[in-house]
Amino acid sequence: MNNKKNIILEEYENEFSYKKSKTNLDIQFNRIAFIFFVFLMISVIYSIQLVHLGSLKAEDSKEFLTINKNHRADMLDRNGNYLVKTVKSIDIGINPIEVIDKKKLLINLQLIFPDKNYVEITKKLEKNKFFYFEKKISSDNYEKIMLLGDKSIKSEEKLTRIYPQKNLFSHILGQIDDDNKGISGLEKSFNEKLKQTNEPLKLTVDTDIQFLIREELVKFQSVFRSKGSTAILMNVNNGEIISMVSYPDFDLNKREKIVDLKFINRATKGVYELGSVFKTFTVAAGLEEGLINTDTEFLNLEKKLQCGKSSISEYDNKIPSDLTVEQILIRSGNIGSVRIGQKLEIIKLKAFLEKIGILSKINFDIEEVGEPIPFKWGKCKLATVSFGHGITTTPLQLAKAYAIISNGGFAVEPSLIKSELKNNQQKKRIIKAGISEKINPILRKIVTTKEGTAGLVNIEGYEVGGKTGTAQKTIVGGYSKAKVNTFAGIFPTSNPKYVLIVLLDEPKTSSDYVYEYKNKKGSYKGTPFNTAGWTSVEVAGKIIEKIGPILATKYIEN
Amino acid sequence: MKQLVLVVIFVLILITSLVKNSTKEIEDQIFVINENIRPLKSEHEDVLLEFNYLSSPEKLVQYQTQYFEKDLIKIQIMNIKEIIENNETLEINDLISKNSNE
Repeated sequence: MNNKKNIILEEYENEFSYKKSKTNLDIQFNRIAFIFFVFLMISVIYSIQLVHLGSLKAEDSKEFLTINKNHRADMLDRNGNYLVKTVKSIDIGINPIEVIDKKKLLINLQLIFPDKNYVEITKKLEKNKFFYFEKKISSDNYEKIMLLGDKSIKSEEKLTRIYPQKNLFSHILGQIDDDNKGISGLEKSFNEKLKQTNEPLKLTVDTDIQFLIREELVKFQSVFRSKGSTAILMNVNNGEIISMVSYPDFDLNKREKIVDLKFINRATKGVYELGSVFKTFTVAAGLEEGLINTDTEFLNLEKKLQCGKSSISEYDNKIPSDLTVEQILIRSGNIGSVRIGQKLEIIKLKAFLEKIGILSKINFDIEEVGEPIPFKWGKCKLATVSFGHGITTTPLQLAKAYAIISNGGFAVEPSLIKSELKNNQQKKRIIKAGISEKINPILRKIVTTKEGTAGLVNIEGYEVGGKTGTAQKTIVGGYSKAKVNTFAGIFPTSNPKYVLIVLLDEPKTSSDYVYEYKNKKGSYKGTPFNTAGWTSVEVAGKIIEKIGPILATKYIEN
Repeated sequence: MKQLVLVVIFVLILITSLVKNSTKEIEDQIFVINENIRPLKSEHEDVLLEFNYLSSPEKLVQYQTQYFEKDLIKIQIMNIKEIIENNETLEINDLISKNSNE
């Protein structure tokens, strides 16, 4: 019964024993190395960032400069005279809520400012709303009013721009608004720079010359009763504008809002058809392409050409039928210019005009710049463009083009900002050598010979050369009777230094004005023709007579 | 040797502190001068502005008609001469030489 069953378990032999895996990977060591590596990388990145910040140039760090709201740099002319200066002014306001004794305050104010309208001021005090009591207060009155010790009197520092030359540079300098923001002229285009820099901005203009040129424009405004006028005097070698006047102008100190179109900057914004002054470009393009020479003859030139619906004729029927290139330019022959243009063909004439910067909008220091009206080239357009009709540009671009043609064919960029850097830059030739040497003597002959149209500008001692342009103003669907008379001159022609552009917008003849002949003795009363030769050339002559001695003595180049 | 190194270090520290002290004094002087120049500069700018206004071409023409109408005369450019200093001798030439071609 007692069947005992014994279960005998075989002795279990556990063969498992824990052993460290014998891999080559040392986890502990690698973890520390990894942490070190991460720290190393962070420190390297941080160091690179530090080195980068340390190596930043001064110019790059400009953006970090704080802009002082009440700061605006001054502007000087080329001789260091102030054209615009910032002065701090104080405006006094009253906060009626803080007034303790209104009667006492009014009595005190009446003692300091006896001329003010106190009925109105009392009304303002009753309204309990802050108001300005006196703007741009004098230092004496400021001291007196602050000594009253009234808490309601608040002083506020404001920035004021003073223009000591009043109207003289109105179109160049431009204006700022109440928030110290430039709204026109250089004040607008150099707004950020003027706010950031402490150094005054030095311009290329000369106050004395600007004044003398403006004075002549003002004088002849009453003689020729023109709608407006403009003159530009520029250095042909570096593009520095010594004077740029557009009349009528305005007094910048009055801070008026200018909306009337008659105040437009005619020198840069006015886009005009300038007439025969373009003939110089046609001849220069022909010489550049080697298609003509100054003595190349054009025989049997017609008196009238028909192109589509319109006809092209000479302005003077006495012009001979056989003319050399030189004579075409001197006598301002329309048909001869058309023939040169036809020799050139559209591509070459267009390329030349583009090269001297006539056809596209100019890049200039002020933003008020006009854009030449684009047009479609064709056979008739080629003919009219050859003698300066059906093509528009600005007087500034005309000055630039004449500078390039007369200075030996080097590129110039008109500028209002004085920069030594520009003078040291190497000149870039854009027209073949020798063209200026051929054109300049012809421009001189236009002034010295009796066939030329600009005899009135032949002022002794200055070797003036130039070309006249009389053009009718365009209106919708044709031309009006109103004219634009232009003179584009260079002097001295033996080694040109200056280009002078004088443009009269819609001048009229004068019956009383007395002309003094320059190439012969005697005088002539009254304007015989409303052409550039009798209007803008006379103005240019008077300008050179006045500014010539200054230019000759002040700007002698050693 | 050790002592020498220590002495050198001590001397260098002394010199550095002396130089630093003197530059600090110069810095202070520069600061004071700059602060004194500031109002003078501002005053000079204001005077220059006044001068520019009073000597502006417009004002000069006004003074000329007021005081010197008959005393100031216009000189032709051809009459202006140029003095050139040449080895202790003075040479007088025309400013604008008349072009022989014309």
